[in-house]
Amino acid sequence: MDVGFSMSNSAPGEEPPFELAKKVIQKFVQRQVFAETKDELALVLFGTDSTKNPLDQDGQYQNITIHRHLMMPDFELLEEIQNQIHPESQQADWLDALVVCMDLLQRETKGKKYDRLNIVLLTDLNTGASADHLDVIIENLKKDGITLQFFLPFPVEEDEEGGGDADRRGPSHPGMGKGLSREQKNSMDMMKHIMLSLDEEDGLDQIYTFTNAIEQLCMFKRIERRPMSWPCQLTIGSSLSIRIVGYKAVTEEKLKKLWISVDAQTNKREDLKRETVYCLDDDNETEVQKDDTIQGFRYGSDIVPFSKVDQEQMKYTHDGKCFAVLGFTKQSLVHRHQFIGNQVIKIFAPKDDEEWPCRPSSGRWHELKMVAIVRYAYDRRSNPQVGAAFPCIKQDYECLLYVQLPFTEDLRQFTFPSLENNKKFTPSDTQLSAVDSLIDSMMLVEENENGEQVDMFKVHQLPNPAFQRHFQCLHHRAVSPGTPLPPMEPWLKAALERPEVISERCQAPLEEMRKTFPLTEVEKKKKVKTSVGSVDPARDFRILIKQKSRPFGEVCQQLTHRIEQLLSNKNTQYYMKSITCIQAFREQSIEVKKKKNTLTIFHLRKYIMIGLEVFWDLLVQGTISLFTWDCRISLKSFLP
Amino acid sequence: MAEWNAYYHNEDEEEEQEEGEQSGGDYKVTGRDSLVFLVDASKEMFIKGEDGQPSNFDMTMEVVRSVYTSKIISSHRDLVALVFYGTEQSKNPRNSFKHVYVYHDLDEPGAKRVRDVDGLQGDKGAQLAADTMGSGETSLGDALWCCANLYSDIKLRLSHKRLMIFTCRDDPHGDDSTKDRQARTKASDLKETGVVIDLMHMMKPGGFDVSLFFCDIVSPPEDESELGLQLEPCDKLDDLKKRVRAKEQKKRTMSRLNLCLGKGINVAVGMYATAVMTRKPSAIRLYRETNEPVRSKTRTFHTQTGSLLLPSEIKKAQVYGKKQIVMERDEVDTIKRFDDPGLLLMGFKPMEKLKLHHHIRPAVFLYPEEDEVKGSTCLFSALLMKCREKNVFALCRCISRRNYPPRFVALVPQKEEVDHGKVQITPPGFNAIFLPYADDIRTVDAPQCPVASQMQVNKMKEIVSKLRFKYRSDAFENPVVQQHYRNLEALALDMMAPEDTEDLIMPKVEQIDQRLGPLVQEFKDLVYPNGYNPESKPAAKRKTGQSGAEKKPKMEVSEDELKAHMQNGTLGKLTVPILKEACKQFGIRTTGTKKQELLDALTQHFQFFL
Repeated sequence: MDVGFSMSNSAPGEEPPFELAKKVIQKFVQRQVFAETKDELALVLFGTDSTKNPLDQDGQYQNITIHRHLMMPDFELLEEIQNQIHPESQQADWLDALVVCMDLLQRETKGKKYDRLNIVLLTDLNTGASADHLDVIIENLKKDGITLQFFLPFPVEEDEEGGGDADRRGPSHPGMGKGLSREQKNSMDMMKHIMLSLDEEDGLDQIYTFTNAIEQLCMFKRIERRPMSWPCQLTIGSSLSIRIVGYKAVTEEKLKKLWISVDAQTNKREDLKRETVYCLDDDNETEVQKDDTIQGFRYGSDIVPFSKVDQEQMKYTHDGKCFAVLGFTKQSLVHRHQFIGNQVIKIFAPKDDEEWPCRPSSGRWHELKMVAIVRYAYDRRSNPQVGAAFPCIKQDYECLLYVQLPFTEDLRQFTFPSLENNKKFTPSDTQLSAVDSLIDSMMLVEENENGEQVDMFKVHQLPNPAFQRHFQCLHHRAVSPGTPLPPMEPWLKAALERPEVISERCQAPLEEMRKTFPLTEVEKKKKVKTSVGSVDPARDFRILIKQKSRPFGEVCQQLTHRIEQLLSNKNTQYYMKSITCIQAFREQSIEVKKKKNTLTIFHLRKYIMIGLEVFWDLLVQGTISLFTWDCRISLKSFLP
Repeated sequence: MAEWNAYYHNEDEEEEQEEGEQSGGDYKVTGRDSLVFLVDASKEMFIKGEDGQPSNFDMTMEVVRSVYTSKIISSHRDLVALVFYGTEQSKNPRNSFKHVYVYHDLDEPGAKRVRDVDGLQGDKGAQLAADTMGSGETSLGDALWCCANLYSDIKLRLSHKRLMIFTCRDDPHGDDSTKDRQARTKASDLKETGVVIDLMHMMKPGGFDVSLFFCDIVSPPEDESELGLQLEPCDKLDDLKKRVRAKEQKKRTMSRLNLCLGKGINVAVGMYATAVMTRKPSAIRLYRETNEPVRSKTRTFHTQTGSLLLPSEIKKAQVYGKKQIVMERDEVDTIKRFDDPGLLLMGFKPMEKLKLHHHIRPAVFLYPEEDEVKGSTCLFSALLMKCREKNVFALCRCISRRNYPPRFVALVPQKEEVDHGKVQITPPGFNAIFLPYADDIRTVDAPQCPVASQMQVNKMKEIVSKLRFKYRSDAFENPVVQQHYRNLEALALDMMAPEDTEDLIMPKVEQIDQRLGPLVQEFKDLVYPNGYNPESKPAAKRKTGQSGAEKKPKMEVSEDELKAHMQNGTLGKLTVPILKEACKQFGIRTTGTKKQELLDALTQHFQFFL
């Protein structure tokens, strides 16, 4: 990173290139730290007041400082970038700085295995660079396989080869200021020369602007896992086997790290200890030692002691790794919503098998719209599954997609009321057409002018918002401890909302929906008794009278009806129940001072008429003094 | 369980068959579910069908058994009872009812009960039933009353109460209208206390007329339609099982959410899990002396002071880039919070945009909740119809619970389907398919291979069509889970050895070979070069010139090296075997063998020395 004095120059109202370059590095390091990649990183500053590098000899390679040697990035580095890196007042030759970096890579990768070496230069190119040995430098970059990336405050356009006229680029881009200096133009030519020498075609693609880089780096890196290969044999029957290799292609990725508990005072993990004790389910909660416990399982209501050893011996065992075809079935019989498990495996023909005669068997049956039902076992220790292998034919490859399917035990066959056969809920034509236009206005896939389909909301290109937010908060807490967590990043918030075009387009259809579909939230009330039930009519009657939500007469009538029902069973137990009803009726009548119980008496008379002598006997046996208050009527007079 | 062989026909010859058991819920609920089987034990029930078909009684016992065993596996806390009516003998708690025989009181099913029901099957079973219970007078009213007492005698809180009547007699009391009336009264009592009464009516000569009597006994169907009563009587075991299975479990929502189409347009929906992986249950600890279960209590205390710590005295931390980052416990929750729970409609996409391989977890089913928002069902129904008609799915952002981060789901419309007996096989609603984020998709380099020739393709097609069968999702039992329960059953009943389980997901190699015949060799001749053996291991890529002695790389690291790695944060670069070895070397106990766990263990161990 160039920290020389020209990096602090900026037009009024613009952020100086130094600050932008620093942000690029911060964002980049942050991503590396949270992704926990094993990539190592060194930081070389140039334009520094002091000089600290191994090539510092005879006044060469001055004002270049190796700030950090090649190692994994960490928060220490982030803090240093935050607090220790400031604009300085010297200028240094950026080509010299490049050489220092190359030297550093060479020294510090000795004995290490690596995939790739890369140097990123962040500079405004505002130093007179000496073109000496430019060819040697390029040669060495090529020889060591080092790739280069430039980050500049201004964009570079391809059509300006050979000098470039600053005016044509338009003055609007920030960082351009009054156009480029002679040194910058000169440096630009050299930079292009190097980049095109390294990669004739796309060399210039590796030159970025600070602002673009910051935008792209604002997301934390997506979790990247190198898929492990799973070599196996696809078998059909006993004698046909085909070599395959599987890779986990899609799976629900989780954060690698879990939260650990620490003591709130010291923030130390080792100050806490968790302990599990066992106790009997008695009143004293008597503790028992772990050694005095054995393993068991529930078998319904039975509890079966079952030792680990026995369990191991009796458990289901199988032959291990397996991908065996059970048969083939119509693809339409394997329902998408019955996929189970949390992964999809892609099955290919193995790479290194030179004898492999043709693509895996996939292509050979896809025209039949059939899928293979297979038994899959990852290895001897894991449980076997049943699953489907779908042929998948792509432009440049063919494979099988394996997905797990449910076992009988996994399925829940719920039934739901029919929607179409229910007149109460059948939508009208107006309602249907409102939904129709809503769908039309909210289509996320559209054709552009070229007749190509454009999908404006691709979920599989969105980074998991939970991870993004998690890292944002962790980062905040790490660099600014003691402050509250920050709000969600605006770009993330926006990414989780409806695309703006859609929101605008669907306004009118939504208004129509609002008009045509009345929706009312149901207020949650406690269940209120509205009628005298048959289980405990006497209690219901009392409650209803108390509630006063229904007219007294109506409630009385309901009770009378219940009594009639009870009596019609002609069974002693029901008679007893009827009597409690009559008791309740009487007591409530007294309370409300209604004297219309003659009504009941009239009804009672009816029962007697239909020959409920047993009931009558019970009534008059004296357990109830039915008519003891002001309407004394001789009971006997009702008898037939 | 049906033989998988049964499905292994060419599909043209195949009949409709339905089979299988049902697994239970893992929902946290208050109270227990309960189910009473009220079975007619009259003579009519024991009449055998034509061609040795099982009697209605036999079929019923088979169903009861399958419910018992599936409850044991998937919802052992549910209570089940078995009661017979129309018996000669009587047996019930207070012996207050005649001709009612309580075979199993309302309780959790166990191994013994399964055996009991086994004993009632077949000719011997019929004999046993005749000897112990016999057939006699019928009073459904008394039987229902007795069942009501079973429910009320339970001291536990019951969350769902169901009663299933199995009978083939549509007019059980003949001309006795009093008995009819009693039964009606008692049935309405039961219904009022929240018991759902279902009729599992079975075939008898002359058909079963529900309107004669039972229409007043059973609970009205959920949707107030006539569908429930139009059901034909069952004459097949599979139909009966299917019908029982559909009712046996209480549907429970995983959550109730609002599907928001736009501001103020909220449709209430319930989310249901229709396929959940059943695993072997976890072990419980028992006290060695008495075999009684012990409870475990976990507590956190301070290492130095030994005092128990309150939740407020604990914070949470993660280590990144050698730095420990600490958060309050509630901050950890708020980080995960994006919005209130709910489904937010983003827009619609054509069905072909839903990729087969975009699968990260089992789908869930959505159905409207009219009780929450009135009008939901109508709008939901309209949306469902139009999505199907236009062949699109709805893309929604889904926050399924409080403090759950968002996921995106594709709502795929599903049409209702019923089978020949008018039993629903596919409910109407949306299946919500969970879609992967960029993080969930791994980059796999596809190897290049030559293209197969048309001849080779045709040969494979022949093979494929020889091995066609009709896949059914409920045809395969999990051999691991089944074996585990057979083992437990054997131990619980002191059997000599567990019953054999058939591994239904084993390829039927002999049948396949037989079907394919010479095709295999023909295919091989077309595809493989002479002498190619796909089962041979590919030649080792790198052969070292040295003897085998050097084969194993050095697994040991010195303490200094480890410390250096730790200081530089490069511990993660060591391989798992080396880390394991290091843990062994320094006697460090680890919680697992995953790389992160090993790293954590080592780091913690050496923290004191750094």
